[in-house]
Parts: sequence; structure tokens; C-alpha cells
Amino acid sequence: MMEEGGIATVVIASGVFRNRLAAMQIPRTVLTRHPMGRPIGRPGDHEEQRRIILEALNLLESAIKGGILVDLPDRSV
Amino acid sequence: MADEITSEFFEEFKNSFSYGSRSDLNFKFLKSYSVEEASKFFQDLLWKLGDSLDDGDIRQLEEYIFQSQSKGYADPGRYIYETAPFTTITKPVSELRMALLTSSGHFVDGHDPKPFGIENMTQQEAEARISEFVRSEPVLSEIPVNTPEEKLRVRHGGYDIRGAQIDPNVNFPLTRLSELQKEGKIGELFSPVFSFVGACSQANLLKQTGAAWLKVFQEYEIEALLLVPV
Repeated sequence: MMEEGGIATVVIASGVFRNRLAAMQIPRTVLTRHPMGRPIGRPGDHEEQRRIILEALNLLESAIKGGILVDLPDRSV
Repeated sequence: MADEITSEFFEEFKNSFSYGSRSDLNFKFLKSYSVEEASKFFQDLLWKLGDSLDDGDIRQLEEYIFQSQSKGYADPGRYIYETAPFTTITKPVSELRMALLTSSGHFVDGHDPKPFGIENMTQQEAEARISEFVRSEPVLSEIPVNTPEEKLRVRHGGYDIRGAQIDPNVNFPLTRLSELQKEGKIGELFSPVFSFVGACSQANLLKQTGAAWLKVFQEYEIEALLLVPV
């Protein structure tokens, strides 16, 4: 809806919901390996929160078509 | 009188984590598990808990909970589309006017959205009324960008808010985004930022309220949205 209205969007979500988000054909989605309720990382983990947001901003800028899901690896991997 | 000890079928036990007597929204997915699956979940969870006593690695516990939750939400849901609209951005993110919209249920202290006309509804009350929430019209809270974290409040009957209460940035990254704007990574973080309780009528959101919000964002000349569904 927002995209139809000319507003570009990027989603950050927990990969717990990967299948549901993939079905929606959302333009740009960054999926994290953090559990429900905490998609952007643990409380106080500023470095991880920042990493995830920067990945989302990068996707916003670089995507040239919709339906892209980026699965962010666990930072410890 | 001594407390009575009652026995309970395991099925009742595992279901009690989903808005039941042992409600814990991190584990509400257990309601979708079979008895065998839930039994295996608890067995493996306790084994990994035992491992963590020796290696101190809680990351493996987080990963196990993540995988278990994923299994509980593996179905594609009701909203299945073949394609969707796509708007290309026409300038770098460092020049964009961007807004934040989350479904985490955040609002500013003193500006309670008063669900069902009730001020200061507790999290416990919100969970108890979840079936009413998911039929209700979503209400958008506006949060000025310069709101101190200690003035933020969160309430949402659909997920465990403890992490968000400790650090809003786990799903409402206002502070992180403000930092990135100061560094020049984002052109402008639009004020206010927005949040609503995602446990609402999805039909209303898709067919009515969402369209009204779009008009507001267009009037504000917002060029991009960072969306955080919870």
C-alpha cells in the first residue's frame, strides 16, 4: 500500500515469520535470527542493533525490484 | 488447608502457555505443537539449559527458541500474493526523509492511546483482552523523535514485551536511528515516529486505516518508511 502511494519501504522482522513474510511479496525485507518480539537484537546490544538497521538501509538503497528477503546470519557465525 | 495438587494432561500443560494459566507469549507457539513435538521441545530445551551451565553459551538457547518459534509459525498465513507494488528510491538514503513505523505498541507516557477507552491498561489486561484487540481498529501513536527513552511506554497483548521494556530499540529503534541520522547515514529521521498495536483487525488495517495513514505520510512528504512488524 505504501509502495503504491510512492513511499519506499524496508521491513526488519524476525526470521521466525519468514514463510508468512515471503508469501506477502513485501518489497524489501531483512530477516534476523532473533526471536519474536526482539527482531533488532537483544536489549543493550547496540552494535547488533546498528548492524541490522544498516543492513536494512543498504537494502532500501540497493534493491531494484520487489520481493527481496535478506536473511542476516547470526553475528557469531 | 493444604494446597490441593491436581494432575493435568500434558496437552493442557503445553497449551497453558498460550494465554492460559501459564501464559508466556515467547512460548505460545506450543499450542500448535503436537504432544510429541512439545515433549521433545521441553526435553531438548532442558538439555541445552544443562549445557549452558558448563559452557555459558546462551546463544545456543536463543537459537533453539528461534528455531522452535519458527516451526510454530511455518505456515504461510492468510496473506498470499503473487506480486506487490515497488517504488524505487531516487536518491541515497543519506538524503531521504525517512519515518519509522512499528507495530510494537509503543507510545509516550501521558499519551496513552486508551484502548477501548481504558487509560493505563496493564500488559496483563491487554493479554487477557487479545481477542478484542484483534477485532479492533488500529490506533497510531505519534512519538516525537526527541522523546527520552524513559518516557516511552509499551503495551501489546501479542508478544512478550520484557525485552522492549528494558531497551525499546529491540523493536522500536528510535535511539539507534537518531544516532545514524547524526552520523549522516539517514537524510532526515522524520518527527514524529509512529507505532501501533499490531494485534488489531488486519482487514481494517488493509482496507481503511492503512490508506488513511498513507495520506498522512504523503502530506508529510515522507519518502521512505522503516517498518518493524512484531
